[in-house]
Amino acid sequence: MEKQKNYEAYLKSTHRLGRIVSMITLVLLVGAPFMIGTLLGAGPDLGAVARGFLSVGLVWTVSSVVEFLVYTPMLGAGGSYLAFITGNLINMKIPCAMNAKELVDAKSGTAENEVIATLSIATSALVTIVVLAMGVVLLIPLQPVLQSPVLAPAFANVVPALFGAMAYKYYRKDPLLALIPLTVMIILFTLVPSLTSSTSFMIIPAGALAIALAWVKYRRETKGAAE
Amino acid sequence: MSVLEQLNGGGVYLICGSIVAFIAVVCVIFMVRAWRAGKALGMDVTRMKRAVTASATFSVLPSVGILLGVLALSGSLGVPWPWLRLSVIGALHYETQVADAAAEQLGVSLGSGQMTAQAFPTIALLMSICIMWGMILSTLFNKKYLHRLQQGGKNEARTGGGFGDKAMAAMFIGMVSAYIGSYVGGWISGSGLFSFSGSWTPLAVVAAAALAMAVFTYFSEKKGMAWLDNFSIAGSMLVGMLAAVLIGH
Repeated sequence: MEKQKNYEAYLKSTHRLGRIVSMITLVLLVGAPFMIGTLLGAGPDLGAVARGFLSVGLVWTVSSVVEFLVYTPMLGAGGSYLAFITGNLINMKIPCAMNAKELVDAKSGTAENEVIATLSIATSALVTIVVLAMGVVLLIPLQPVLQSPVLAPAFANVVPALFGAMAYKYYRKDPLLALIPLTVMIILFTLVPSLTSSTSFMIIPAGALAIALAWVKYRRETKGAAE
Repeated sequence: MSVLEQLNGGGVYLICGSIVAFIAVVCVIFMVRAWRAGKALGMDVTRMKRAVTASATFSVLPSVGILLGVLALSGSLGVPWPWLRLSVIGALHYETQVADAAAEQLGVSLGSGQMTAQAFPTIALLMSICIMWGMILSTLFNKKYLHRLQQGGKNEARTGGGFGDKAMAAMFIGMVSAYIGSYVGGWISGSGLFSFSGSWTPLAVVAAAALAMAVFTYFSEKKGMAWLDNFSIAGSMLVGMLAAVLIGH
């Protein structure tokens, strides 16, 4: 009882803190271009910003809504406030938190998941901040090594490497469930190759299909268990 | 002094560095609070340590990839701004696309040394505005949304449910399928419908990383080397990336 009370107080203060730091970050990030503009002696062209927003911003706005709806339950309160502040969601934070959650066997929506996801996202963000800060300090000596043609294919393939590892991890849980979305995606990308430039948006139908199939299977299993 | 030199100046470093430092402090605060909450809940400290270690090792390689993004954008936007954007909030594919769209509106091109004093704040502002919605939605709806889900979860638990975890795993299966589907499609039709002459490197990288993951899983599950789990994703990625280097040469 005492533990539950403490946890609820923790959640309440996490929401308060999350809202405050999100708003401060927002003001800092929107304010920074104006401050840098002052140093350069010029302000932003707001007309061009509006036109640019209409051309690409709306797509990213829709994507943000979907990300919010999908990832918030995965990450819980603390994890999601931090993840939306620190970014790099699909390519790092989400798989990182899922990996940590798997390792300690934390179930979604539980207090344990809330704690693990927050620890995971905070650690991941700090590692990125440290690596990038060190990289920036060492930028000049590192540049020839990291940008060498020998290593170029490695860094151009970070995302396939990530998804290869994740594929084994998740497909083995339910190979039959994986087969249908994978086949559908292969057919779609083969027949409409231009979709490759919108892969991040194709996650939505692929995810919806996989969830629908998982739901059908789940209903069948629970119905079978009830009978 | 050129615009790029100004963008790499101390003033811009100070502005961007202060924001990065602020976010780092926020991360530490959240981390300490979560750790204390976990202990108060009676969670096993070893498991929490394991989550932290695994997350740290997991994040090193992608962070190096992100660092390359800073390098890639530094030629046109200077070092401090891409450093800020990619340290916090941003993602390389997004930042590059938005910066390019903003440059297009201004009639300049990224990476061609055409950056002007007015173009930079415009590009930077668009980058900030386009990706602020996650934070805004979180601020406005996070509490209400999670509360509603929790109520739903309680009802589900009462009826013997538990679809949440299955749905999350399914979402991941869908996500992985979309990416692997794009690599297969790119190979089959990337250079012309059914020409089978597109790049197969990403597919080989996927296969190498998956194979490495299978090896890691075998040793951790069958040979009692559970500690290997902490390095399985990062290690598999490294194998996949190594495969890309070998194919490239």
